[in-house]
Amino acid sequence: MRGQLFRAMALVLAAAVLATACGGAGSGGASPSAGATKPSFAASSYMATIQASGKLRVGTRDDNVPFGLKNPTTSKYEGFDVDVARELAKALFGVANGDDVIEFVSVVSATRIPTLQDNKADIVIATFTINDDRKKQIDFSDVYFRTGQKILVKKDNTTIKDVKDLNGRNVCSAKGSTSEKNITAQAPQATLNLQDTYAPCLILLQQGRVDAISTDETILFGLVKQDPNTKIVGAYFSDEPYGIGFKKDRAGFTEWMNGELKKIVADGRWAKIYKQWITPVSGDEKKNPEGK
Amino acid sequence: MPGGIVLEFPELYLFPSGLWITVQLAILSLLGSLVLGTLVAIFRVAPARPLRWIGGAYVEIFRNTPLLVQLFFLYFATPYIGIYLGTRETFAFNAALLGLALYHAAYVAEVVRGGLLGIDKGQIEAARSLGLSYLQALRYIQLPQTFRSVIPPLGNVSIALVKNTSLAATIGVADLLYAGEIVESRTFRAEEAFVAVALLYLVLTVPLGIGVNWLERRLQVAR
Repeated sequence: MRGQLFRAMALVLAAAVLATACGGAGSGGASPSAGATKPSFAASSYMATIQASGKLRVGTRDDNVPFGLKNPTTSKYEGFDVDVARELAKALFGVANGDDVIEFVSVVSATRIPTLQDNKADIVIATFTINDDRKKQIDFSDVYFRTGQKILVKKDNTTIKDVKDLNGRNVCSAKGSTSEKNITAQAPQATLNLQDTYAPCLILLQQGRVDAISTDETILFGLVKQDPNTKIVGAYFSDEPYGIGFKKDRAGFTEWMNGELKKIVADGRWAKIYKQWITPVSGDEKKNPEGK
Repeated sequence: MPGGIVLEFPELYLFPSGLWITVQLAILSLLGSLVLGTLVAIFRVAPARPLRWIGGAYVEIFRNTPLLVQLFFLYFATPYIGIYLGTRETFAFNAALLGLALYHAAYVAEVVRGGLLGIDKGQIEAARSLGLSYLQALRYIQLPQTFRSVIPPLGNVSIALVKNTSLAATIGVADLLYAGEIVESRTFRAEEAFVAVALLYLVLTVPLGIGVNWLERRLQVAR
């Protein structure tokens, strides 16, 4: 069913690309990496293996605005992570449209590592924080996005500006998250209200039953989008570097991917993707993951 | 050693305080459900038809919707209709207490109703002919005998209630299960954390079962 859908989608896309090319109108092949030739790799490298298979299998989230979302009306994957994956796929196959050579696999937080270990995807790009525990099980690329924990309050709140202001306040976060640990460490007098996910936290904030929600800024972006009467405040008080995950011992894959990520940042594609997906919710613009 | 994590974990207070919250929640909601359930049972067998309808509606509503849904309603939806079940700190506990009491009262009502109907009609007729009012007959003749006969099924309801208190963790009550979840997320030792939780629930439910059996033997009368 799903395979058929993708095939149909790919066909429609291919037709669209053809039509553009034939018409000579439009800016077809705007991407700098859209070389017409397929790059060649050493036969033993994992890049050659993927080329031979014809598809780059990308594990991403389908419910995580603005990073990875399967658009319910178009059934297309979109978001920051998805666009970075498309750039990698274009470079790997030397095609103009990444979707022609990508097979998306939906993942959730808990299935990211198993998806790689069971070889259901070649890469996982899904707001995946690089840490030592995970590095024991899989490999990571360099940091392609850096975020940290921040605070979400109602728009009219003027008293909470920083993590220290959470002392003596009611703060909502999710059970089983590093966010909860960070709040306890940095604002020990805060009263925690721990829910299973962040949607209940937003309800409690709207009802005035907690003063703030605190977790990774990227999750807060999604909450702001749901409720524009909220705002994100303060500086980062934790460090969350996102990397692209893949199975250990993929020959040459780390070097190739890090090289491509450098190119994506250097020629401005990274800034463009950031502006498309992150700027509407963050209000800022960045040229690279470190924001410099 | 399974369960060793309870003693080993640096923040020792988590499991004991969670256990204490669970005990409080269980005892208070059990008392609430016994009182409310008995009342509903009396409604269910009342001579006046409207009272029977009210009792019946209560049982059908609370027995036929999931407890989790009732808890979510009490915790998230009540403020929309202007009801605040407590301060920011006590809201979750009160919602859980109320939810558990209301839900199990429906089961208690059915058990007690069965007991009331099981009393020999002749006894009630004798009581009434001696000049006792309907309520007096209920109070002095029917209810005392009913409680004796419904001890075993009420024991079942009580044990189910103790286990169902764990649903309170989903609305943020810092009970025993919640303690297990926090320890698991901080130590990544899921097996140990949840084995400890399970053992601590057994510490509550097994003695409760033994107590109910003892009470049953104690109150047994030769017939």
